[in-house]
Amino acid sequence: MPDTPRQQPEPSTGAPMRFEATVHPGQALRALDAVADLDLDRVPDVGGELRLLVTAEDAERLVDQGYEVRLVQALRVRPLDQGLIMDDASAQSWLEARVAGIERQEDH
Amino acid sequence: MYRTVAQLDSATDLLATWFPQHFSRQVLPEASVEGRPVHALRMRVGGGGQRRGVLFLGGTHARELMNPDAIVELAVDLLVSHANGTDVVYGGRTWAADDVRVILEALDLWFVPCVNPDGRHHVMTVDDLWRKNRRDNPRTPCDGVDLNRNHDILWGVAQGQTSCSPCSDVYCGPSAFSEPESRNVKHLLDAERIDVMVDVHSYSELVLWPWGHAPNQTEDPTQRFTGLQRGTCTASIPVGYEEYITPRDLLRFETVGGRVVDAIAAVRGRVYTGQTGIGLYPTTGTTSDYAYARHIADPTLRKTYGFTFEAGPYAGSTAESFHPADPTLVKLDTKAGMLALAQQSVCAIELIGVQLLQRDTEVAALRQVRDELLVTTDAGRQWVALFERVQAPLIGTVLADAHLSREAAALLEAVGGAGGDDPTPLQPDDLERASSFIALLAERTDVEAVNTDIGAVRGSLAQMAGLSLTDAVQLLMRAAPADQRQPVTGS
Repeated sequence: MPDTPRQQPEPSTGAPMRFEATVHPGQALRALDAVADLDLDRVPDVGGELRLLVTAEDAERLVDQGYEVRLVQALRVRPLDQGLIMDDASAQSWLEARVAGIERQEDH
Repeated sequence: MYRTVAQLDSATDLLATWFPQHFSRQVLPEASVEGRPVHALRMRVGGGGQRRGVLFLGGTHARELMNPDAIVELAVDLLVSHANGTDVVYGGRTWAADDVRVILEALDLWFVPCVNPDGRHHVMTVDDLWRKNRRDNPRTPCDGVDLNRNHDILWGVAQGQTSCSPCSDVYCGPSAFSEPESRNVKHLLDAERIDVMVDVHSYSELVLWPWGHAPNQTEDPTQRFTGLQRGTCTASIPVGYEEYITPRDLLRFETVGGRVVDAIAAVRGRVYTGQTGIGLYPTTGTTSDYAYARHIADPTLRKTYGFTFEAGPYAGSTAESFHPADPTLVKLDTKAGMLALAQQSVCAIELIGVQLLQRDTEVAALRQVRDELLVTTDAGRQWVALFERVQAPLIGTVLADAHLSREAAALLEAVGGAGGDDPTPLQPDDLERASSFIALLAERTDVEAVNTDIGAVRGSLAQMAGLSLTDAVQLLMRAAPADQRQPVTGS
């Protein structure tokens, strides 16, 4: 399939923000296991760090509880870049091309 | 590029319409929360009754966009291979057309590309990092249930990455199977013969198997999840608890998982890690653990080996990891993993014994030797692992050759029909026949690892002269393959 580079984020539209962040014990040496109790959106981290998607309020709450929060990236809540979505004609033509030459029921 | 829900549905519809001899599509019993149909596509070559089944699930988590596309594309790749007699090539990993044919003739492949269509639509139209389904959680401002926490395996045990809070992204729902999307998966497991399943997620480059709620142990069968409290919305699993898994099943998960990892690595060198689910983080209520747990909670149900793939690496940001701008290479890895899983699900003994000979008794006798004797010792488990390693690369060779097929069937009849406690020495003719068969297999493969394994089989056969079948099995339980290897050159 042809691929399209991800578009640059559009200017702020007032949609809410979330942040990709890693959480660390901080100076208070908080146990990271307890972060699970905060019901935050944990995403995988193959390096073993605690990586989350959080709102600004979530991050503030973590800091207030003694954790160190390192913001990795700001992400606005928005739809998938429309340039990454296949159009109907391309989807159909991809399938047609892949099965070209194979006898179909409708060929009978 | 990613397909919309409608485009995924259209692809499975067209496959079933154009190629009804290979594909049949069914609408699963329940529409999604927002009313979208969910489809399952079955693929097989040839007729006959029920077969071993392998189920591929994708799109359970909405934002993990690559996997529904990879599942649809795998179905198309297999069709093209079978129809044109061409190999399936994913980077540096090739499945010969004969091997693909064996898979399609031996198995029913079930594809559910998009378990959670509402979530996928939401990702494409509202929020590109949405994870759950689109359930409206009453009396809260938050929507969605995590479908991979909603199954009836320690449901409502809120430990690690499982929560009873409706606003959590790992919300397990108001009850087990509260969601139509997860009930659809249960329906397939109830209604069809599913021996192996994989729920394909992203990301982390992992191949996961049970358990997700506790570390595994193989010593104490009384430590089972059926004795644990559930539904309390607390972390009710005792500290230090370890979940029992039979040595046979652990071996099977590790062997098959290892073959999947190997296949993915051969594509372009990505090194996935095979491990238990808890190695990622603690979970309960997951699809793959539920699939495997069913036969333990209810022994009348079929055993299903449940795997989870976490496809793709961390790519510098969460968004790029869940839905990279160019998912092509990750999809190749994923398709290789799924096809390797299917290939490992072909049971050579069952294929020859039941499908070619229509002889259940011999197959059952051999299964009994494996499950009740061989797996009880370390050496025996190594023999089981050896067989499971070599059967995939060799079964296509055997079935494509009439002489080898006849010989395999004759040997299966001789060994399976002898009975486990028969004191009569193994017949010299049968041993000679087995040695000749093994020598022919060695001539047909140039894979060094397979030849090494064949050498071990030849070594063990040489020591079986004059032994009864019982003594021969005991020999395998005492002496591991590495102790018995012989050169494979010459017959």
